[in-house]
Amino acid sequence: MRVKIKIESIGRLAILILLSLQSGLFADNAKFFESKVLPLLKSKCYKCHSHESGKMKGGLTLDSRTGWEQGGSTGRAVIPGNAEKSLLIKSVRRLDEDLEMPPKKPLTDEEIQILVKWVNDGAYDPRKVDESKMVQAPDTEWWSLRPIKKPTVPKIAGVENPIDAFVLAKLKEKGLKPSEQADRRVLMRRLMDSLHGLPPTPEALAKFINDPDKNAYEKLVDSLLSSPRYGERWARHWLDTVHFADSHGCEHDVFRPNAWPFRDYVINSFNSDVSWSRFIKEQLAADYFFPDEAQLTPALGFISAGPLETSRAGTAPITFDYLDRDDMVSQTMMAFNSTTASCARCHDHKFDPVSQEDYYALQAVFAGVGKGEIEYDLDQKIAQKRSKWQRYSKAVKKNDPQVLNEPEVVALVRQGKEKIEDNTYVWQQLQSTQYKSEHGQQFNVQEDGSILVSGNTPEKDIYTISGDLKFARLGSFRLTVMPHASLPKQGPGRCGNGNLHLSEIELQVLEPGASQSISLKVHKAAADWNQEGWHINHTLDKKTESAWGIFPKVGQQHSAVFELEKPYILKPGSKVSVVLKQLHGGSHVIGRFKLEFTEAFNMDFFLPQEILAVIRTPENTRNAQQKAVLNSYLFKGIVEKELAQLPPTSKVYGASSLWSHAKKMEEPIKPKIVHVLKRGDIDKPGKVAIPGAISSLKNLPDRFELDPNANEAQRRAALADWLAHKDNPLTWRSIVNRVWHYHFGKGICKSTNDFGRMGSEPSHPELLDWLAVWFRDEAKGSLKELHKLIVTSETFKQISKVDSSDKGISVDQANSLLYRMNQKRLDAETFRDSVLQISGRLDLTMGGPGIKQFVERKGPQATPSLNYYEYDWSKPEAARRSVYRVVWRGIQDPFMEALDFPDMALLASKRENSVSPLQSLVLYNNKFVLYHCQVTAERLKKESNDLNQQVSRAVDLIWLRNPTQQEQSLFSQYAAKHGLEALCRVLLNSNEFLMVD
Amino acid sequence: MSFFNESINNSSFSRRKFLAAAGGGFGSLALSNLLMADGAKKSLNGGIHHPAKVKRVIQLFMTGGASPMDTFDYKPELARLHGQKLGPKEKGEGFTAPFGAIMKSPFEFKQYGQRGQWVSSVFPHQAKLVDDMTFLMAMKSKTNVHGPGTFMMNSGFLLPGFPCMGSWISYALGSLSDNLPAFVVLPDPKGLPYNQKAPFSSGFLPAIHQGTVIDAEKSVPDLFPEEEFKFASKDTDKEGLDLLEKINRSHAGKTADDGLLNSRIKSYELAAKMQLSAPDIFDLSKESKATIDLYGIGEKVTDDYGRRCLLARRLIENGTRFVQVWSGPQGTKDNWDNHGSIIKELPPVAASVDKPIAGLLMDLKARGLLEDTLLIWTTEFGRTPFAQGSVGRDHNGGTFVTWLAGAGVKPGISYGKSDEWAYQTLEGTTYCYDFHATILHLLGIDHEKLSVRQNGIDRRLTDVHGHVIKEILT
Repeated sequence: MRVKIKIESIGRLAILILLSLQSGLFADNAKFFESKVLPLLKSKCYKCHSHESGKMKGGLTLDSRTGWEQGGSTGRAVIPGNAEKSLLIKSVRRLDEDLEMPPKKPLTDEEIQILVKWVNDGAYDPRKVDESKMVQAPDTEWWSLRPIKKPTVPKIAGVENPIDAFVLAKLKEKGLKPSEQADRRVLMRRLMDSLHGLPPTPEALAKFINDPDKNAYEKLVDSLLSSPRYGERWARHWLDTVHFADSHGCEHDVFRPNAWPFRDYVINSFNSDVSWSRFIKEQLAADYFFPDEAQLTPALGFISAGPLETSRAGTAPITFDYLDRDDMVSQTMMAFNSTTASCARCHDHKFDPVSQEDYYALQAVFAGVGKGEIEYDLDQKIAQKRSKWQRYSKAVKKNDPQVLNEPEVVALVRQGKEKIEDNTYVWQQLQSTQYKSEHGQQFNVQEDGSILVSGNTPEKDIYTISGDLKFARLGSFRLTVMPHASLPKQGPGRCGNGNLHLSEIELQVLEPGASQSISLKVHKAAADWNQEGWHINHTLDKKTESAWGIFPKVGQQHSAVFELEKPYILKPGSKVSVVLKQLHGGSHVIGRFKLEFTEAFNMDFFLPQEILAVIRTPENTRNAQQKAVLNSYLFKGIVEKELAQLPPTSKVYGASSLWSHAKKMEEPIKPKIVHVLKRGDIDKPGKVAIPGAISSLKNLPDRFELDPNANEAQRRAALADWLAHKDNPLTWRSIVNRVWHYHFGKGICKSTNDFGRMGSEPSHPELLDWLAVWFRDEAKGSLKELHKLIVTSETFKQISKVDSSDKGISVDQANSLLYRMNQKRLDAETFRDSVLQISGRLDLTMGGPGIKQFVERKGPQATPSLNYYEYDWSKPEAARRSVYRVVWRGIQDPFMEALDFPDMALLASKRENSVSPLQSLVLYNNKFVLYHCQVTAERLKKESNDLNQQVSRAVDLIWLRNPTQQEQSLFSQYAAKHGLEALCRVLLNSNEFLMVD
Repeated sequence: MSFFNESINNSSFSRRKFLAAAGGGFGSLALSNLLMADGAKKSLNGGIHHPAKVKRVIQLFMTGGASPMDTFDYKPELARLHGQKLGPKEKGEGFTAPFGAIMKSPFEFKQYGQRGQWVSSVFPHQAKLVDDMTFLMAMKSKTNVHGPGTFMMNSGFLLPGFPCMGSWISYALGSLSDNLPAFVVLPDPKGLPYNQKAPFSSGFLPAIHQGTVIDAEKSVPDLFPEEEFKFASKDTDKEGLDLLEKINRSHAGKTADDGLLNSRIKSYELAAKMQLSAPDIFDLSKESKATIDLYGIGEKVTDDYGRRCLLARRLIENGTRFVQVWSGPQGTKDNWDNHGSIIKELPPVAASVDKPIAGLLMDLKARGLLEDTLLIWTTEFGRTPFAQGSVGRDHNGGTFVTWLAGAGVKPGISYGKSDEWAYQTLEGTTYCYDFHATILHLLGIDHEKLSVRQNGIDRRLTDVHGHVIKEILT
């Protein structure tokens, strides 16, 4: 209300002034603009909206006519002659809370009037953009966007590996020399850290050191690359990059029991050296590109790797959709293109040429999928069989006449089941009935004899209904729950959603003259509909927490029939009582119901009304729908049996059109409509986005021309093709830079996830481009070839430790030019796996469900409570490699975190190398370390009885060398006093172990 | 952490090298130490951009969304309209259920203090201290959902992955001593809040800055080895650390160091110092009976929260910069998420914290700690003036209450106003951005200058928003 009044009053004021100031001479306009308007724009607006300041907040510039004509993300800023409709005027008047300009200090009334007059007079503006003042205008000439050309390799005598040639050329420019080659001990540990994430065993190291072959190093590289340990090491890098974890994260951090097949898929892909372009295609659209290779289904775990905010799936579904797709877009563009696309969610990217429309075009690519479990069959024959029976199953659910009257179905039905008997039973209601509610609800008998319940709704209740029956015997009885307009959602329950929960049902008879009732045993129950997880059988299980429910089929009638274990002969004058226990809570009580009894026993247990109607129609007059209904009824059991006989499906947590809002659908969803959201606000939808990618790459289309009715997988496939295209320069630069980063500890471009203006520029741009082209064309996208080229370079083989007097220290402190190798700290997994190997218990079993290295208890809501400190490290599976442990996104292992295992809510392509007292405490005291000190000590004692030998062996296992004489005596003394375990603890905390030279 | 001051003064580990190491991504530095190393920033009183008024912060977080109109935001209009169906007809995006009728507060309100701040009967102890508190009566959230709401009040973002306020403060200022972590979290023993440990995450800041989650009974995790490891007794620890230092020094030798080797040597010395001092801090038996009683320790209802409040005081006294004390686990029980019944669910949880909070405030004041400490009472959002079911209230990000007490803020005032139903804010709307900006300001930090580049964006605690609430500053 208040805001409206404000608008009107200002509007009137503006009109008055408009009348008084109206004039039209061009010369006057020019003068007015120069003397009044321009100084105002310059002093109040340019700071955030001009090329000279380099800021274009909201995509708007006000330093040229074109600037306000094109406007920003909220639209054209000035409409000449119409101040009222011009956003510029609206915002300086501060009429809209979201659009108040300038943001801090409002303009004076006088200043506002100047702008109003200027606009109403036609917005005279002679200004053009001064190109020379343009700074940081997003453009396509930025290094990472330029098409890649293969640079010439500098010619340096005696240098074979092009990497070395590029690096040496740079060093020479700065007057630096490369460092000497490291010795074989250092080289093997470095190489194994890089390729396997494990240290060499002393035996393997000795073999390498003593290998006389001049190609010993190359042989070692080949053998390491062909070992499956390689895939395990490099998979983790990719899993970090795509923030893969085994739980949702967020409020309901629920386990994803079938996320792991994606992890195994990545390990296998690296081990089998799938080409990079194929790796891209498999992860984005394996279902489209390789429909006959079901074993590739887990690749779709890529799209779903990130967190899922399920608490919003139900309550804020639109927000949920946009955010969920945002995660897919950010991840895909960052992982494959090192591009920060999500910066364009609310406005055009400020620094890089990614428009808001580009961003929503990328969202549209993922508009047809949600995250959830995908079921698939590895065996094609099984897959076909399953799809046939699933088709029938759907037809049965929908009574689809087309399918159900197919000759094959009719034949199957005929073989399957004898004819249904039409038994007509006599049903009777109780007479002289009495009703009781434990919680004082009122019962009102309706015309049809049913009971409508009213009064205050209790949490729980027990109804007792007693009365007389005129039967000689009692066989079965029927409870019908019925809708009514007075009930929530029309009932039949009184719970807010119309549901009810019947926990237990009991039948009692009080014979005339008897003082106690007899309970009659009910042995069978059937209902026309059971809520998932709330089956009618629960009413007979003597457990109050389980019950029968009917959700979501509320607002309609449902029946359940109960049969006695044996017919009961009723003495005349007996009182029959039925007790309906509704003890689940949450007001799940029955709102309207009817009870009927029959003498019939062993009846054709439960025939729904609609079937009865069909079988009472002569066979030759039944229509197609009636036949379908009957066939459906008869066929259901056969279909269920056939489906049950199939082997269980494989499952993977992935992206699929069968999932929406964290729920599984019966049918694939149609791609949702994605709007270009103004300011990223779901309440301000702009035009509909069509699938595409970013528009700043030459030679590549920015929007995918797809048939609107095409299968949604085509959208993902089109993006995969765009990313894997040989002319996409970002893709090839991104991956070779990532690989370089993991080998050297720093990328050629340090910001591995951001090749935009906010990122770093490459230290060796020609080398990066040369590697990108070589990897794409000559190595054909083979990562193993790329590794080999890098690790066999002299650059990689340099020593990392140089004397403090070395010239490089003063010229290139950060070692950007690679005059030496970089030292690295063991990362979380490598530390753990190394300790396991040293202790002798490392278990190299590959693959399968993740290992839960914590004690799990029920939490206050869906998320369990995890205790990592209580885990028993002696369990056999505790010795598996760390890549196989379960990573719980929101409740991480404190030990791994202390060693910089990243937050998996983040796209974390780089690990920190932090040092802190808390980390030291963890390394020194954590149960994992101390337990394995004991295991290592046991191993040492098994191998030798002599303390000196035990000590020397410990040093060899941990430091990969013999102790010096001084060390030997110091360590033996210490071990004699405190035990070998205590010595191992010190060595496992040492820099010589933690640091890889 | 003076850890780095010492390192910087150490001749074998020059400032220049240290800076290089820091630039190389070595995590545990606090910016302040980097800046303080110039020796010229004493006038800032520990701040990094301007003089600080606050040195340490205790944040009390009420999980679930504490109801404003049943605690501090008195709304007589609700009583007048009680039972009338006046709310929106449709369930809005983010609400869990359609709105019921207007519901008055079932509790009695009275005015307290010089200004006459209204407080309901659920907070009898805090009511007596309103003259020491500064109320933000019109806090607003962008969401009505717990997970995102909890993130928003902690990290300023609706999604996981961003550093929370405690992490930013740890990153900017470090700890006040070597004895304790800079940022400590004391969760409710009944369970973690919404989003589990993610509200204490350091996001893309180095792991050292994440909240150290402490079980009040058990002290700092991994401070000492577990008893089952006989070889790692306290006696052997010391000799082990001496030996470790010896071998690490000899390993470093004379080679040029990126800073990592020396930092690691230093970090074990600091770990040993922490082992020496931390156990005392967790030993509440050193407190007087009067103090124990003040916090309600030993009384069934208040014992747990009282212990954690007292521990918070002991932690900040000994060098921790930022402590969070959470009330209530996630879920539908024992917290502030009173969907079912305000009258049944709110009083017990309110009683469990009221006396401890009042005790903490009085204790901080009596000890003079309030002169450079800030105590803040927060929650993730408010609740609807409309009933949910018949006597509960649904989530509502439209308006809620926060209070602050201590250094740098004007005591006994209130800022902002909600509408007549406490459904939406009316005046002085305060988003988490403004709230966070103000707290950083008090600590001597300019929220627009404290940023870290991550995946292409210069990230701030306040995103691209935030205004310091000057009206409440002294």
